[in-house]
Amino acid sequence: MTAQTVAAARSPVPDAERSSWVTSPLFLKIAAGIVLLLIWEGVVRAFAPGYVAKPSGIVRVFAAVISDRQFLSAAGQTLSAVLIGLLISIVFGTAVGFAMGRINVVERGLRYYVNSLFATPMIAILPLVTLWFGYNADARLAVVVFAAFFSISTNACDGARSVPLEYLEVAQSFRARPFQTLFDIIFPSSLPYLLAGLRLAAGRALVGAVVAEFFVSIPGLGYYILYNSRTFKHNEAFIAVIVLVAVGVSFEALINWLTRRYLPWARRD
Amino acid sequence: MSGAGKRFSKLQVFSDVELEVGEREVLAIIGPSGCGKTTLLRCMNGLIPLTEGEITMEGEAITSPREGVAMVFQHFGLFPWKTVFNNVAYGLKLAGATRAQIDEKIPEYIKLVGLSGFEHYYPYQISGGMQQRCGLARALAVEPRVLLMDEPFGAVDAQTREILQFEMLRIWESRPTTMVFVTHAIDEAVLMGDRVLVLKGRPSTVHEIVEVDLPRPRNRATLLLPRFAELREHVWNTLMADARQAELEVIR
Ligand SMILES: Nc1ncnc2c1ncn2[C@@H]1O[C@H](COP(=O)(O)OP(=O)(O)O)[C@@H](O)[C@H]1O
Ligand SMILES: [Mg+2]
Repeated sequence: MTAQTVAAARSPVPDAERSSWVTSPLFLKIAAGIVLLLIWEGVVRAFAPGYVAKPSGIVRVFAAVISDRQFLSAAGQTLSAVLIGLLISIVFGTAVGFAMGRINVVERGLRYYVNSLFATPMIAILPLVTLWFGYNADARLAVVVFAAFFSISTNACDGARSVPLEYLEVAQSFRARPFQTLFDIIFPSSLPYLLAGLRLAAGRALVGAVVAEFFVSIPGLGYYILYNSRTFKHNEAFIAVIVLVAVGVSFEALINWLTRRYLPWARRD
Repeated sequence: MSGAGKRFSKLQVFSDVELEVGEREVLAIIGPSGCGKTTLLRCMNGLIPLTEGEITMEGEAITSPREGVAMVFQHFGLFPWKTVFNNVAYGLKLAGATRAQIDEKIPEYIKLVGLSGFEHYYPYQISGGMQQRCGLARALAVEPRVLLMDEPFGAVDAQTREILQFEMLRIWESRPTTMVFVTHAIDEAVLMGDRVLVLKGRPSTVHEIVEVDLPRPRNRATLLLPRFAELREHVWNTLMADARQAELEVIR
């Protein structure tokens, strides 16, 4: 112990380094989080009625909600609608986007419609969707697809159009057939664009699912939030919000990880 | 190739190009930048059509890329998402080779161009010289009877370029093919070619074809032969008249 003290004294740590844990990003993050939670707790306790969500209340009901069958089934329904909607959008959005990106006639024909639909607020079409699909899970799926499809097709189109001519020349020179060029060159070359589109689409899909549940009143996290808010169970409602945030953030992290792991070449330009 | 010409809308790139390349002959084509060397090679490969005349190979007119011809590109044309191995295998795979054939042949070509140990690297992880070795291996792997080389070493630094030139000579000696070697470097043209074709004029035409009577195999010692210097000088003079004029035009 003495030896350690002596060693420490002999190699004095510079001031900047000694205080570095205070300025380290992790510490700042945690500290800011704690401060925000404390302010929230304090403000709610001081000014708001008892049913308003506050950190201590959320912690209290957390375990019960997370293991509640109704909550789990709601989460499962919302997330599976989002995943299925994303899959549909990826498959068809990519196909439509590639066709637009590589075939001029298709692009000229569809450009205005796709751009307009991309810019259409999905909430605006909700009443129509419920008329077409009924007040059921199909309407939610339709909204999710509507929300996700166009960001994927737009990005797929950009990706397909920005395939360098050199690559296509090489493919042609080695006598690639059109579908080989599609899978060997256009698809991988567009991958960075597709992932960017997917990142955008995932966020929009999540919003679409929740909004559809608000409107259509079908079981899911969005409806869970709505129902619990109306019955003054704000802590419970807030846990559903946390789950939605966690899903959004995880998806983002997953895409970043995929990009780093499988597209190291795409980060260079 | 006879009476060949190519025009892009208003721009007549070359016209009345007459040339013939014999089996296992190396024809070097030299000309200033922008004179249409790449365009000519693209036409020979069948990537783009001629606007006049025709190009035939083994008695058949070339209208689209055909089997037995492979091109090495000025821009390398490697796919950044494929490893060296998969880039080299690309042409062979398209030619319908099985997995077993690929696994057997590709390492052989990777070794031939001196890329052993780099099979799993991506193009961005290797130098320009190594990237072009990869492009060369990809072309060689389909075992072409005709190799079209478009300024293959134009985008690498001078030192690497010299190394690659001698590597290329070594590889050609080990498996001689008919080769059209486009370059804008005089040394390279004389070193590589059995004949050097000088493209000149506007639109470009065949200005002169110089016989290169240097012995093979050629190597570094070839550069020291008095005959090499003579030929080099000759091609230089032929080209320079043109370059002077071009420079004057720029000034005016
Ligand atoms: N696809 C194209 N469309 C129109 N002009 C072209 C095209 N490709 C090349 N050119 C023109 O043809 C000329 C010859 O180009 P190129 O064959 O690349 O020359 P080089 O390879 O000898 O440098 C240049 O003036 C270039 O601008
Ligand atoms: Mg060129």
